[in-house]
Amino acid sequence: MKVAVYGCELTGLVTAGALAQVGNQVMALPVGFVKVEDLKAGVLPREEPGLDNMLAQQQAEGRLSFEADWEKGLAHAEVLIVATPSWRMDRAEALIELIGNKVRKDLVVVNQSTFPVGTADRFEAKLKLALAERGEVCNVAVVAMPDFLSEGSAINNFMRPDRIVLGSSSDSSIRLMRDLLRPFNRVTDQIKVMTTRAAEYTKYAVNALLATRISLVNELANNAEHFNIDFEEVRQGLGSDHRIGFNYLYPGCGFGGPSFAADVRSLVANLQSMGYDADLLKTVLSNNETQKEVLFRKAWRFFNNDLRGIKIGVWGLSFKPNTATVENAPSVKAIEAFCAQGAHIKAYDPKAMTDFAMHWQGAEQVELVDNMYAALDSVDALVIMTEWKRFWSPDYAQMKQLMNQPVIFDGRNIYDPEMIASQGFRYFGVGRGEEI
Amino acid sequence: MAVNQSAAWQALKVLAESGVAEKHLQDWFAADPDRAKRYAIELDELYLDFSKNRIDDQVIAGLLALAEQQDLSGWIKRLLTGDEVNDTEGRPALHTALRSLNAANVSGFAAEVQPDVEFQFAKMAKIVSKIRAGHWRGYSGKPITDVVNIGVGGSDLGPLMITHALQVQKSPVRLHFISSIDGTQTSNLLKTLNQETTLFVLASKSFTTIDTLSNAETAKDWLEERIERPQTLMAQHFIGVSTRPDKMAEWGIPEENQLLFWDWVGGRYSMWSAIGFPIALKVGMKGFYQMLDGANVMDEHFARAPLAQNIPVIMGLIDVWNINFLNIQAKAILPYDARLKYLPSYFEQLVMESNGKAVNRAGEKVSYKTCPILWGEVGPNAQHAFYQLLHQGTQGVMSDFIVPVERDDFELHSGAEKDASLLKQHHLALANCFAQSRVLMLGDAAIPESLKSSFDSPFKHYAGNQPSNTIMLKNLSAKTLGMLVALYEHKTYVESVIWEINPFDQWGVELGKLIAKEAYACLVDNESVESFDASTQALMKRVK
Repeated sequence: MKVAVYGCELTGLVTAGALAQVGNQVMALPVGFVKVEDLKAGVLPREEPGLDNMLAQQQAEGRLSFEADWEKGLAHAEVLIVATPSWRMDRAEALIELIGNKVRKDLVVVNQSTFPVGTADRFEAKLKLALAERGEVCNVAVVAMPDFLSEGSAINNFMRPDRIVLGSSSDSSIRLMRDLLRPFNRVTDQIKVMTTRAAEYTKYAVNALLATRISLVNELANNAEHFNIDFEEVRQGLGSDHRIGFNYLYPGCGFGGPSFAADVRSLVANLQSMGYDADLLKTVLSNNETQKEVLFRKAWRFFNNDLRGIKIGVWGLSFKPNTATVENAPSVKAIEAFCAQGAHIKAYDPKAMTDFAMHWQGAEQVELVDNMYAALDSVDALVIMTEWKRFWSPDYAQMKQLMNQPVIFDGRNIYDPEMIASQGFRYFGVGRGEEI
Repeated sequence: MAVNQSAAWQALKVLAESGVAEKHLQDWFAADPDRAKRYAIELDELYLDFSKNRIDDQVIAGLLALAEQQDLSGWIKRLLTGDEVNDTEGRPALHTALRSLNAANVSGFAAEVQPDVEFQFAKMAKIVSKIRAGHWRGYSGKPITDVVNIGVGGSDLGPLMITHALQVQKSPVRLHFISSIDGTQTSNLLKTLNQETTLFVLASKSFTTIDTLSNAETAKDWLEERIERPQTLMAQHFIGVSTRPDKMAEWGIPEENQLLFWDWVGGRYSMWSAIGFPIALKVGMKGFYQMLDGANVMDEHFARAPLAQNIPVIMGLIDVWNINFLNIQAKAILPYDARLKYLPSYFEQLVMESNGKAVNRAGEKVSYKTCPILWGEVGPNAQHAFYQLLHQGTQGVMSDFIVPVERDDFELHSGAEKDASLLKQHHLALANCFAQSRVLMLGDAAIPESLKSSFDSPFKHYAGNQPSNTIMLKNLSAKTLGMLVALYEHKTYVESVIWEINPFDQWGVELGKLIAKEAYACLVDNESVESFDASTQALMKRVK
């Protein structure tokens, strides 16, 4: 099938690469600042395991091309996919306008971008009106296909999805989409067909539910500390209840990333603009902001409310492992809090230091170092913000030798409190370790 | 010689008795429609219309002669350069020095204090930005979200009035004010706050004020319910603002959390100092400086404009004319903007605590009226309360109408229905303001010809002839509020110079405090009430 994908961020590129890999002729077109030359040369806007190889291979085999001219994409496409970041609604609008003005054939427009509920309907109405004004009789429909990709495992998420949600009222469009997605829907039928609005809302609802679950788990863990309980034991008890399950039960120092919190926030804003409210979600969001400082608060109490001149080593800056981005990451907020109290920071991250340097606006005390042990040199405490694999089993002896004081604040609970204490560390996790 | 025996005073008296005092405002305007233009002064973003007063060129000339005779210009200079104008307490009254930062033309003691002022403002700026950025932490490490100002009188009214007036500006922390000694405010407020995220500001010039310290003790007890380390409690949850670092230290406030001002700043003139800390929390240090700048514009004007064109001088002299020659003993402060709700209380303290005195600088009892009774209320609300008395009562009352011309708290041309309605409401408020001052002035003459017959009843007559000023501010901003308050400070000083009294002391409030101590001892320590009068004894016995 001939497919055009508009938007060359994570979602667009993964979609384009995966569709090309199964034999489609795919043209990918950037909508923002990403440049075609960069894409052709393999310079990607975001690092994602396996993505660069996949795109290079598909280009080499002639099934994937990058193109700047939007009209060429339209001329090429039987299926046209909109995959802009959620904050580039303006570009999507412009694209819909172009399609309305120029299209002369039947076309399925698929929206993967996370736009407010009702957007797909609105796009379709807009297209129909434009066609009618031109006296064009071809059939153009809009399908909502929310993306459920997670950074770090996006390709796998696309190729072996838990489910594929398709929103459309057009049977012929659904038939076409089923055919396009057939290679990714083999073992059991994972496609859920619903109205476009329900599809759009599902995406928000998933993020809202996960965010709420994380925040609630964090709150339960924080409070377990007050009862002198190791939350890990409670987690086992909770997860084994089949109604609850083990997923998303780890407490930590808050969630981040470019879209997760942003989607929940945009749902709240969307509802508020309509005159409704979402009290629980607002609390979830503000709880999470508070949770980003949970390790700061522990250190604040540990050092008796005076962090002036205290040196803090930080392991991990990205909002989760295997990604290079610090957008909305707890690390940024925590480091800002430390710096404002006059603490000095030495930080290490395997991938996200460049992005951190770009996001960091402020105090000069942050020193980025190029290996994890350098971040421990003469520090009064270690703060772990991201659970990169290499942090799980470090050289304890070397750590103790390097650090002024063997104190660990662990925002991801990657150590066993008893073991690490027996190594001579003071250890403070989230819902685990010493109470403070 | 007492001022009321002086030539200039006597000349005004003769003038008043020559028929001027009897003349009705409607006749003044009929004879001289041009007066509205002549009797108005504009300064930057403030416009004063004083034409609705029972004055003419002759009266003004007489008042200016009185001012010259009293050496008003000399007194203004002495005030602004830091002479000991507060002679009963042997110190200057240099609130103007707090707002002349970067002003090259201060001299005398006013110039000497500048480095101290700058140092304290720099310290205040640091604390303010830390709190506003969410980096001032409570004991548990959470950012402070609520700041409670504990202070009374000058340590309360100014910040309360200004922060309320600037309510539309978004503030990153919530502000609360506790003043009353009885504990009701404290008890109610504490129920709504969390120890983790609450910071108290103890604002007391002397740091001995029982009202403030008793509320502070309650706050401390409340914090102690959660906070074990006394150092943390003080370092993270209390900031002190006072002239007495020793007393603050004694109470436990660490040096880093002490903001100082000086005994040359009177309590009711202190919102320009670190007492204005809540204002800076509300609008940022930038906004605080804008307020100081606004006041400085008025100070410069007061210092330099010729007396006849000098807004505080003219307003002060007209008050003197009304009080001493037209026998008006009440003044209403009538802001036509609900954001100025606390302005009347603020001016009540400023004016009555300054000039509510009957002894001149030489210690002699005066034989003329001084400060009138001053009160007020948001105008449109007062219209449904005490305006009846203004229109048909037996008291002469002079009024100051205060109103912003524009509003910046909603979007004028947003197209939203709500904003269109708000604009309509603003115009309604302005219309009411103009209508009231017109009716107070003209009385029956304001009744339209076509409606005259329906007002033909002894109960529907309006005497009119009540004088008023109208002060228009471009809008309600830190700057215009600074100008407005400085105007009233200086106007109050002008009157004190004419009346030869010291506006900067307040001995009248001391005795009550002393007796309260005795009474308190009787109530709680079972001391004998015998030394009290029969009435007070009876009252106390009902408590014991």
